[in-house]
Amino acid sequence: MDDLDRLRAVFRSTLDLAPDAPDADVDGLEYRAIPQWDSLAHMSLVAAIEDEFDIMIDTDDVLDLSSFAKAVTLLDKHGVVTAG
Amino acid sequence: MTALPHPSARLVDGPTGTELAGPRLVGEIAAAAERLTAQPPGLMLTTMPTRTQAVIRYLAALASGRPVALLDPGLPADFLLDLVARFTPAVVAGPPAALAPPYGYRADGDSWVCPGAPQPHHQLAVLLTTSGSTGNPKLVRLSRSAVFTNARTVARALRLAPGDLWPTTLPLHYTYGLTTLNCHLAAGAGVLVTEHGLLDRPFWSLTESFGATVLATVPYHFEMLRRLRFDPSAHPKLRMITQAGGRLRGELVTEFGRRMSEAGGGLVKMYGMTEAPRISMLPAERLADKPTSVGPAISGGALSIDNGEVVYRGPNVMMGYAEHAADLMRGDDLGGMVRTGDLGHLDDEGFLYIDGRLRRIGKVFGVRVNLDDLEWLLPGHGPVAAVAGDDRVVVWVEEAGAAARREVAKELGARLGLHWSGFDVRAVDRLPLLGTGKVDYRTLEERT
Repeated sequence: MDDLDRLRAVFRSTLDLAPDAPDADVDGLEYRAIPQWDSLAHMSLVAAIEDEFDIMIDTDDVLDLSSFAKAVTLLDKHGVVTAG
Repeated sequence: MTALPHPSARLVDGPTGTELAGPRLVGEIAAAAERLTAQPPGLMLTTMPTRTQAVIRYLAALASGRPVALLDPGLPADFLLDLVARFTPAVVAGPPAALAPPYGYRADGDSWVCPGAPQPHHQLAVLLTTSGSTGNPKLVRLSRSAVFTNARTVARALRLAPGDLWPTTLPLHYTYGLTTLNCHLAAGAGVLVTEHGLLDRPFWSLTESFGATVLATVPYHFEMLRRLRFDPSAHPKLRMITQAGGRLRGELVTEFGRRMSEAGGGLVKMYGMTEAPRISMLPAERLADKPTSVGPAISGGALSIDNGEVVYRGPNVMMGYAEHAADLMRGDDLGGMVRTGDLGHLDDEGFLYIDGRLRRIGKVFGVRVNLDDLEWLLPGHGPVAAVAGDDRVVVWVEEAGAAARREVAKELGARLGLHWSGFDVRAVDRLPLLGTGKVDYRTLEERT
């Protein structure tokens, strides 16, 4: 599984999405745009991303992590290779 | 008589950054009150989103003497219709646009109205639901004098002044959120009305640019503040964090109390319930000394312990519950006394310590959950037992594997409209039983 898939899996599981939710749906997710991604889920999501990729997410990044796309940017910043 | 709002009170509308104060605020409330007066007299049922217009509508109801029931804006449509059927409000403000008015109601602007609805008791001012969306919520009936006295007393105890500003960190249909709104407005202070929460960047930019001085929190907010590596010294205007809504873990009390006091502010622990909005308050200067207490009774109130149960007497106690429209006509059923359902003790200074719960009630992220009801929501999972944890509910399930535990948490989260991480599901070989064959909750609590 590549890193993008691992990230999608983290989102699917933490936000309680259907395991077969299409990638395109996951990729378009935004904080608070769906009921499952509320502030409490956000806390779990940040922790799950840290665990999965063994990184530390700082204050600014917690506040910036407002979409799946932002999470990809964050992983890139931490040197996790997500592209192709 | 307390003015609510006080002439110097202000509302800051988060989305636009506009400040409504003085004659402009008074004018907005008067205009909304006038619109309300044109509608049939009687109870108004309204959702209470954290928006300026909803706050104005609530203040207009208070100003025009119309009792108002404030509901969770996330309430499913069938719950709203059930409440309408049970309580026959004269006005339902802002119902979901897609919903047709039920029998007996007609649309009137953005409301449903019912001419000839029963007239509630003249002292009735505010009604709140006892629990989020579990079962058939009862309404708590608060008199006008209870609401106003409560606002004034809390404002004084927190030494709120016109320079204070609270950004809405709590839902306003929730007793602690509503009390915090009321006490700021009664003190002539400001309320920054924003739907953004602690994890949204706009919350912090608004907080900074308008100079918030008070943060009102429930226990899970501290996990968020910790996660954000919140540093009080980075917010020089912030002078106070209030905490209620359940027991805050000791280490968090110590940590945040110390950090707030180092930054020249304080952490104020409070205890209250929908039935008596604020009961006790631990002043910041006593926190280091009595970190596990929730403080003495607020001014005008009195605490006692009856067979281990905390009993509160005070002018802000509810008139009673309402389950049906007929109950809205009732006067004061309680005479200013409420049994809290919490077990506790008082020390020689009259400071209260909460030791546990008499009734089977737990809290998940500050929301009350009936633990017996919760067990009934889990048929098909074998024997289960729910006990209260720290702002979580611990659910013991016999012989549950990891997948089953996760399933239970998600099922409860979905049924109760709460995030699944609020349910700590644990496996047990066999639930411990008492001689009577009933589940031995005490043993489970000790293991929790």
